[in-house]
Amino acid sequence: MKEKIIALVEELLKVPGGTVSEDTRIEDVEQWDSLAHVLIIGELEERLGISIPLEEAIELTGMRELLEKAGAV
Amino acid sequence: MKIALLSNVNMNPVIRLLGEEAEVYQGEGYGNELGALLNPASSYHAFDPEITFLVMDLMELLGHELDASEAGKRVEAWFSDFEGGLGTDCIYYVSDAWLWGPELSVVQDPMRRRILEGAWLQRLRYCMGNHANVRVFPYAELIGRLGEERAFSLKMWYMGRILLSREAQKLLHESIMEYVLRESETPRKVLLLDLDNTLWGGLAGENDHEPVKLSEEHTGLAYKNLQRVILQMQRQGVLLGIVSKNNEADAERILASHPHMTLSPECFAARRINWKPKHENIRELARELNLGLDSFVFFDDNPAERSLVRETLPQVAVPEFPDKPEDLAPAMAEIYRRYFAKPVLTEEDLGKTAQYAAIAKRREFKREAGSFEEYLQGLQITLERVEPGEHLDRLTQLVNKTNQFNLTALRYTRSELKRMLEEETYRFYLYRSGDRFGDNGIVAALILSLERGTPRVEEFVMSCRVMGRWIERAVLDEVERDMKAAGYERLRGIYLPTGRNMPVEGLYKELGYAVAEELPDGGIAYELEIAKAPERVYYVERG
Repeated sequence: MKEKIIALVEELLKVPGGTVSEDTRIEDVEQWDSLAHVLIIGELEERLGISIPLEEAIELTGMRELLEKAGAV
Repeated sequence: MKIALLSNVNMNPVIRLLGEEAEVYQGEGYGNELGALLNPASSYHAFDPEITFLVMDLMELLGHELDASEAGKRVEAWFSDFEGGLGTDCIYYVSDAWLWGPELSVVQDPMRRRILEGAWLQRLRYCMGNHANVRVFPYAELIGRLGEERAFSLKMWYMGRILLSREAQKLLHESIMEYVLRESETPRKVLLLDLDNTLWGGLAGENDHEPVKLSEEHTGLAYKNLQRVILQMQRQGVLLGIVSKNNEADAERILASHPHMTLSPECFAARRINWKPKHENIRELARELNLGLDSFVFFDDNPAERSLVRETLPQVAVPEFPDKPEDLAPAMAEIYRRYFAKPVLTEEDLGKTAQYAAIAKRREFKREAGSFEEYLQGLQITLERVEPGEHLDRLTQLVNKTNQFNLTALRYTRSELKRMLEEETYRFYLYRSGDRFGDNGIVAALILSLERGTPRVEEFVMSCRVMGRWIERAVLDEVERDMKAAGYERLRGIYLPTGRNMPVEGLYKELGYAVAEELPDGGIAYELEIAKAPERVYYVERG
């Protein structure tokens, strides 16, 4: 599941595979703007059935946290 | 083909998808669709799209006003602004309505929703009657296909004013592209039909033993419904032709006297019922009707005939034939949409458009000079400066996550900003804005650096929700006034291109600044002699 989530994030950010890892922080990725962030949360839910509650979704700061909330680590 | 998608909700995800396939207007946020249309100097007009899609959320447009008469006024106000901003050489697709909002499910009157949607549709229809280049975009059908549960996402709405789910966004993107493709093709004129197992079930030549299937029930009804669709197409100007391998007398008997034939013999402009190869018949028909082969669509159940026509007459469109009779009528409707219903302007339409263009021209003076400004005035925009230290989170977010209206895209972390707030060398300008529909929140930030001589605008960002409202003019006016009061004569503004901040490329120039220095990577430093700042027009009530 972890790999799937990372692949989905990379796809939405339109960055090459391998760019995003568990240690990636949102502020380090230029493409990870607020719009991309909403799309990631939306696609996680629609495509992978992973629902991160609104307030947690807004406060996410990086991949590790995202994976934790998604129950993938 | 250049296209634009304007909306009162955040359609940037769809614009992103469209951008992968088409040349699409990169917008100034959302909620400024009327401003973009009405302002002759807007980046929308500079982009000059050939097709503009307006996909409007009715609930937002009504400002959650569910009282029918009040809602009617808002719909009228929107359309009258919209009509004031229409050009004559662009085609506009305006969405029909799907009213959706959390409170709607507890409205007791079960007809309220339809009535409110009806108010929108009625006004849209009236508008289409007056403007041949305004058409309806079937948004409701798209939502209906998915159902509200799947089409809307409250979470994405809360996070970023994105109303549609990813699935619905993708569907909307596809649907828009379909319209764009159609606009670039010329419509076909003639539908050529086979008879046996196409207009009816079974074979005409054998109806002594077994009658053809055409009736009010079972498979017969499927064929009858197909004919109903074709009849409607014929009434809307599609020419019909028959190309069938049959004994003419057998076929004519059914055509003329079968009680369930919905299409009468007069419906057909031309027919070839014989045993000759079909491609030869089609060539003859083209000569007879004096039309190019690219005007024809050929509908036949026999795959061998279809492939013969495809190979010999590649200009003729040959759609697939459905496997099951129950799919016939919908397949024909799809053929209509795909090949015939192309909204190309007719001579008549053009005449009408020219007529309205004349009326529009008479109004032009008013439009250029006034109606955008009237619109801005009507918005009752408010602007209130707030204390940055009290809104550090929002400030950090604005500075780091704004892409379009962002002059330099310099990013600062929360702690950097916190430290800068305490330093004498920086001045912060942070604003909350609202309009007659409500509060838009804290939407604009400007950071001024006072180190070294001339004060410099390091950072100037504004949320896309309030772009195109001339708020930036009010903000810079205030900064310039302050600097003048502090004894400075000049103010410096920086533009650094990021690939996404094109909407503000010309901002400083437009506001009276002159180029002072060219910076590396395409950046430009502008300067203004504050005493010579131009008088700027804006409509903002200071809070």
